[in-house]
Amino acid sequence: MNKGSGLNRREFVVGAGTLVVPLHAAAPLQTFSGDEARLVEALSEQVIPADDTPGAKQAGVLYYIDRQLAGPLRRFAATYHDSLGRLTTACRERTGRDFVDLAFTDQTKFLLDLEAGRIEKLDSFWRMVVDHTMQGFYGSPAHGGNREEVSWDMLGIRDLMEGHRH
Amino acid sequence: MVVGAGAAGGIVAEQLALSGLRVVLLERGRRQMFSETGHDELRSQRTTVLGNAFGPDDERYARLAQMADGSFQKVLPSEGAYNNIAACVGGGTFSYGAMAWRYMERDFRMRSVYGAPEGSSLEDWPIAYQDLEPFYTKAEWEIGVSGKAGANPFESARQKSYPMPPLPFNREATVLSAAAGRLGWHSFPIPMAINSIPYQGRPACIACPHCVGFACEVNAKNSTAVTTIPRAIATRQCELRTGCVASRIVMDAGSKAVGVEYFQDEKLYQQPSRAVVVSCSATESPRLLLNSATKLFPHGLGNNHDWVGRNLQGHAYSGASGLFDTDLFDGLGPAARVACCDFNHGLPDGLKGGAMIANEFIRLPYLFARTVPPQIPRWGLEHKRYVRKNYKRTLGVMGPVQEMPVFESRVELAPELKDHWGIPSLRISGHRHSHDVEVGTFIAGKCEEWLKEAGAISTWRSVAGRGVSGGQHQAGTCRMGNDPMTSVVDRYCRIHDLDNVYVVDGSVHVNNGGFNPSLTIQAIAYWASARMARELGSKG
Repeated sequence: MNKGSGLNRREFVVGAGTLVVPLHAAAPLQTFSGDEARLVEALSEQVIPADDTPGAKQAGVLYYIDRQLAGPLRRFAATYHDSLGRLTTACRERTGRDFVDLAFTDQTKFLLDLEAGRIEKLDSFWRMVVDHTMQGFYGSPAHGGNREEVSWDMLGIRDLMEGHRH
Repeated sequence: MVVGAGAAGGIVAEQLALSGLRVVLLERGRRQMFSETGHDELRSQRTTVLGNAFGPDDERYARLAQMADGSFQKVLPSEGAYNNIAACVGGGTFSYGAMAWRYMERDFRMRSVYGAPEGSSLEDWPIAYQDLEPFYTKAEWEIGVSGKAGANPFESARQKSYPMPPLPFNREATVLSAAAGRLGWHSFPIPMAINSIPYQGRPACIACPHCVGFACEVNAKNSTAVTTIPRAIATRQCELRTGCVASRIVMDAGSKAVGVEYFQDEKLYQQPSRAVVVSCSATESPRLLLNSATKLFPHGLGNNHDWVGRNLQGHAYSGASGLFDTDLFDGLGPAARVACCDFNHGLPDGLKGGAMIANEFIRLPYLFARTVPPQIPRWGLEHKRYVRKNYKRTLGVMGPVQEMPVFESRVELAPELKDHWGIPSLRISGHRHSHDVEVGTFIAGKCEEWLKEAGAISTWRSVAGRGVSGGQHQAGTCRMGNDPMTSVVDRYCRIHDLDNVYVVDGSVHVNNGGFNPSLTIQAIAYWASARMARELGSKG
């Protein structure tokens, strides 16, 4: 409990603006290779895209998933490595390009086909990515996602959650 | 010796200690502090995607659970099919939602009132509501329940009011209460084991948005961890031993228990005892009995007639969600504040039993995002926009639909799967009775009606399916009865064939009512303790 301090996280960040550490300093990856990370980030942004408010990429969902796959969700790490590879291959075969290089709407179309079971057998993996993205976006910032509490801000419950965040 | 420091064990330990007996209270979990778990939605008792906040852990425990296709799969404690109950001091009560219901008079004689549907082992209890009434009162005052006596016209007779006034209505409860009145229903404040005013030296609820699934940051939620267990220890007659995993009850050559064998820090100990009380939950209590077989009881203690682990029940939760065109969310927890008992009994079309219906606890953001209505896409911009627009405009109303007991719904040993200590684990199997789906459908319809009357612009139902029963309201697996051929314990919770082994928890429920079960578990704990104290005390 620290309700009396009158200084929430956002104000602290603004107040500390002279610090040289950027808000989105790249955290070291624990699970994914660079290519895997770019793919997971693109997939998560499809689940929760940015519009007037931040999406999964800005919320750092990639870092949530990366960290949990080295922790409580480690039993799914092998599935990620395998499925990301298969997804990459399937996308190249179907479109001639890497998933991350497709236009956003073409990515969406590919994933809708994948979800419907028309591509490979990756529908259950995609459901897992959807779930993990929701966790990283809407859950506690303590786990590496929901940076700057962007989802709580979006829902208008930042003050409520911060009042009882411990 | 009491095994399990949860809803019931914490009470039995205190009552026996107060009677002057020496008590060892064994708990496999540990004493937990609010600061360890805080308000982390992803690691709570409500949402366990990153593990169980209150145990048991995924590293040392596993079970086999039956899947929809009939096969068995290994499941971890943080996965739903495990049917976990928290393993810590206070057990489920440390993080529960704390609804504190009395079952109704008819809940104790379901077979007489309705007759058993085909395929159900529905039976009357060997005790009546009137037997338990003084002990319900005792539980309400000793544990601490806030509520409004007389506000629920369907409640069976009570002799004493609640020790605390009810928690005030939040915005959605006010709207729903008015709607219930227009429908001719009888809404009232939910009785809660939460302090509405300072009580027993602990403060009133601060209405935080995290309640069910979390430890209370101000100890206003009345678990046994902050009520009966500290009082038991204060008598100096009770020793709480945590991190102790019971492996078997040790018997003499006959029908008398002489102690309990348990692991602590990887070492095996034996604690001699004059009597053993098993209060480990409706899944773990039968497991301990089944793991304690002797020559005389080759199929496990109390199991000569194959009733241990049978009739696993929970609640066939059914209800509806409603979308409104204005914000009804005010952030005041525990959001569950208003209920109706108009549909617990007396349903049309031969439906048996029913459920109380109440508004839901606050759905935290992740859970909300995963429970959007069926016509909304599961991901993408449309999903995000829906969540953003409607988080504060959605209400849930649900009811714990009373299940018809099914003999084939069960827990049994899974010898091929052992836990960290080499103790055989459980496998869980069976299915709900088809009648539960019929009642669930009826209850969901009533919930929709309530939401529409309250002004919902759209509603959608959720009806429990026919999968494996159990859940956090697990019950029924060591049935109480007068006939040793068709039950496990007698009316005072003593195992029929044994001199001094008792089961005191939800396992003994003959059926599970249309209510959250904790107060009934606790009333039975007081009822059984009073008898035990007399019996054990008189033997010197």
